[in-house]
Amino acid sequence: MPPFNLIDPTRLVVELSYTLIIVFLCFTIYYKTKEIYDLTNHEGINYFRLTFIFFGLAYISRFIFVLIKLMGVTFDLDFPRNIFGNFPLVLIGYFSTMAILSLTYSILWKKLQIKHIFLIFNVIALLISGIAFFSRSSFILTLAQAVLLIFTSIIIVYYIISKSGKISRLYMLYILFFLFWIVNLIALGPRRFIPFEIQTVFQIISVVVIGIIYRRVAKWTR
Amino acid sequence: MDQIKRKRDRLEVIYDILKIIRHHNNSIKPTPLLRYSNLSSQSFSEYLNELLEKGLLKEINDEKGKKFLTLTDKGFKYLEKYKLILGFIDEFEL
Repeated sequence: MPPFNLIDPTRLVVELSYTLIIVFLCFTIYYKTKEIYDLTNHEGINYFRLTFIFFGLAYISRFIFVLIKLMGVTFDLDFPRNIFGNFPLVLIGYFSTMAILSLTYSILWKKLQIKHIFLIFNVIALLISGIAFFSRSSFILTLAQAVLLIFTSIIIVYYIISKSGKISRLYMLYILFFLFWIVNLIALGPRRFIPFEIQTVFQIISVVVIGIIYRRVAKWTR
Repeated sequence: MDQIKRKRDRLEVIYDILKIIRHHNNSIKPTPLLRYSNLSSQSFSEYLNELLEKGLLKEINDEKGKKFLTLTDKGFKYLEKYKLILGFIDEFEL
């Protein structure tokens, strides 16, 4: 039997399409906001843009991870784990942490105004990617990101409630986007955690969520 | 009254400065600009340096060597896009 019969073509096509759509939307958001950032040098806009470039890169790294896993199973390849298994996991950890922190700071920057914040973000992101590297486990990475997410969400919710008293639809979108990212990370683990069909439903909803964010960006960046 | 006393934010101050220059046929001396902009001289000089550095304004000298400020293409673009910029910041609560 030829080896490529073993690969699940449906899963590969779904993963590839999902990654392409998300990455396209993320990079387009980054590109579309370039002009207003160049004109204003607004710190909030800067971190908002960085969020999407980092998320785009995180999704690319995630796809590489999935591809390596699928190829390993299909061709019965024994990849050196340090290079092929851990490297994309380290990148996923770094880029997604940077994205989560950037989005949080884009909301809170007026209140916080912390010097060298980008350096601090890098240290935290390197720490989390270090955890991913040494644990060699997507599950540990998921846990680390979930902790980070809960922590940043509490800060954001506290800030919003003290500011306006209610959580807007925008924050709901952000929370959903983050949640789907965590689901994506969980899906990197053994299949038993989330069946493929359920994962696909989550992926479709997360495309819709980022599509809504993209539409909102496009409205103001004509 | 509150609105009059309200502190203008950075983007609004920049918009006001650029609008004053455009209103004066895109050419004004620094001293009247300072007066019209309603800023302290220290703030004005900080904003002026920022706008020159970012390429929204440029300095030109007339035949007598007097200094004038004019908008660059980027400065005009800022005025044109200002409402969209505010809309974007508001939309994403940045």
